[in-house]
Amino acid sequence: MFRFERRWLLRIFDAIYPGGTAEGLRLGAADVPIEGLLEDIAKRAPFDFVLGLRAGAWVVTLFGPLLTGRFRRFAGLSVPERGEVLEALAHSRLYLLREIPMLLKMVASLGYLGVPQVQRELGVPSVDREPPEWARSKS
Amino acid sequence: MSGSTQSLADVAGKSVVEDSADVVIIGSGAAGATAARVLTAAGLDVVVIEEGHAIPRDGFRQDAYSAFKGLWRDFGFQAARGRVLMPILQGRAVGGTTVINGAIMHRLPEKVHAAWERDGAIDDLLSYPGLEATFDQLDRELSVGPAPEAVLGQNNALMRAGVAGIGAKGNLILRNVKDCEGSARCGQGCPNGRKQSMHLTYIPQAIAAGARVYAACRVSKVEIRGGKAVAVLGEFRDPTGDARGPRIRVVAKRAVLLAASAIQTPVLLMKSGVRGGQVGRRFQSHPGTSVMGVFDDKVNMFFGATQGYETTHFWDERMKFESVSVPPEIAATRLPGFGADLQARLARVGHVAQWGVQVRAEAHGRVRPGITGGASVSYDLTNADVARYRLGVKRLVEMMFAAGASEVWPGVHGLPTRLTSPDQARALDTLDDDPRRFHFIAAHLFGTAAMHRDPRAGVVRPDGRCHAVDGLYVVDSSLFPTNLGVNPQHTICAIAWKIAERIAQ
Repeated sequence: MFRFERRWLLRIFDAIYPGGTAEGLRLGAADVPIEGLLEDIAKRAPFDFVLGLRAGAWVVTLFGPLLTGRFRRFAGLSVPERGEVLEALAHSRLYLLREIPMLLKMVASLGYLGVPQVQRELGVPSVDREPPEWARSKS
Repeated sequence: MSGSTQSLADVAGKSVVEDSADVVIIGSGAAGATAARVLTAAGLDVVVIEEGHAIPRDGFRQDAYSAFKGLWRDFGFQAARGRVLMPILQGRAVGGTTVINGAIMHRLPEKVHAAWERDGAIDDLLSYPGLEATFDQLDRELSVGPAPEAVLGQNNALMRAGVAGIGAKGNLILRNVKDCEGSARCGQGCPNGRKQSMHLTYIPQAIAAGARVYAACRVSKVEIRGGKAVAVLGEFRDPTGDARGPRIRVVAKRAVLLAASAIQTPVLLMKSGVRGGQVGRRFQSHPGTSVMGVFDDKVNMFFGATQGYETTHFWDERMKFESVSVPPEIAATRLPGFGADLQARLARVGHVAQWGVQVRAEAHGRVRPGITGGASVSYDLTNADVARYRLGVKRLVEMMFAAGASEVWPGVHGLPTRLTSPDQARALDTLDDDPRRFHFIAAHLFGTAAMHRDPRAGVVRPDGRCHAVDGLYVVDSSLFPTNLGVNPQHTICAIAWKIAERIAQ
């Protein structure tokens, strides 16, 4: 996975879980060290899964805005507009397009909700005192 | 005489590990561990080879990703290919899938047993009274009992109300746990060592009786000479890293037992030269899908038995309903929406309940060796199966509202994201039978090396012996002629037990 693909993915994750938009949830995906998770996935996860993740990043970043009639790059959209792009994809008539935001949301969730700070904000009784190893290496 | 567990670190520096035993077992899950327990108790010398890591009892306190990486096959990202991509859940650790399952124990339904008997798939070895006695013994040894009320948790308690609310009968799930603390983290490996998984029960028992367990050791093939299984070949390698260790060859004096699951067992058979016929065919499953409901009062699905309540009321319609608690990482994936909408829902995740329907699918798939190693699974639900999911989801929606949900998220493409009345679920009646409307997860895998008296209809005999190769047995759910409609852990243990007893005689 190229560095720019990881950057794209982090931008998408920020759109999935933006910080400070809900009462009681101060942190967003951009506030937690998800990059370590992406590095680990890129290095260790099954090849076809990583390929799907990368393809998802390309589709959302390059073509996503067009699906909502916006002739701009994904990075040029506001965070709420990026969320709308993902929502539009999730309701696409094409199955494979619908699956892309689900896949991205799953990976974003593994990272964002895998750190104890976010779990504490949600009131989840975390049994882990330390952050996961993939988060420690980047914190 | 006490045995041992050896992993990569223990064999570092060796170029090859050579061993021999009466019986070599490939896989340490429900089937392999049970067989090891029975065979060592009968005085046989046993080696167990497991591809996954040996995790210490206190090694399970971790986030979902780390658990998936360390305990689940392919990080939990393994998928069957058909019209939909269907994730397949399997454990990969000493203890196999019993490390990460919901601890549900269900006896083989008598109707399924009768059908197997009628079809000529089984004989006296697996008579129902004989199996009943084994189920009883398993219950005693694995602490099987109903989910305790004290740690039931609201996700399960609400389902009890929902099931009653639609006029069905349900029950607390029978589980193999001892003093469950209700951490709701069964899928990540019990952090408190309460689930009586094989790595805490039959594997230590077998080791105490002399078994040698080789962990982080991947079997490449069974060596067959003169029509007989004589040894098992493999290599030590870190399943989650790059480290590689020595090759291994274990001579089997009496038998080789395949207990590697309904995906890996047929692949190993094929790699060992046992091809054709029914090998890898008739792959069956119980795919599941779930529905979430929002309640005014707190649910907190992160406390309680992971799966504590069920109804088999609709079993004759090939459906079973269960409560399903998942960690926050997975719950969030299932919440509708993105951005601020998702965050608003996530902030109230403590008010969300989740229940699922698993269908005894009619579909048959196929397992083959994968191009890049591993396995390739093709599997496509039939239209009749999909129609059952439409009805199953409708019932789940009705249960949710009957239990007092203020809104329900069915997670079905073509339905509104958010339902506020059970009447809205009627729209499911008019949807087509397209599986791509749903999100499925396949658990409970069967049938890819089925038993049958007739070698044209099965891969192994009714006592697990391979039709084509002497001394080679299948003891896991690959040999089940059909799926069950209930969780298979108990039946896998019982059948492995009976076959192991026969081998020991």
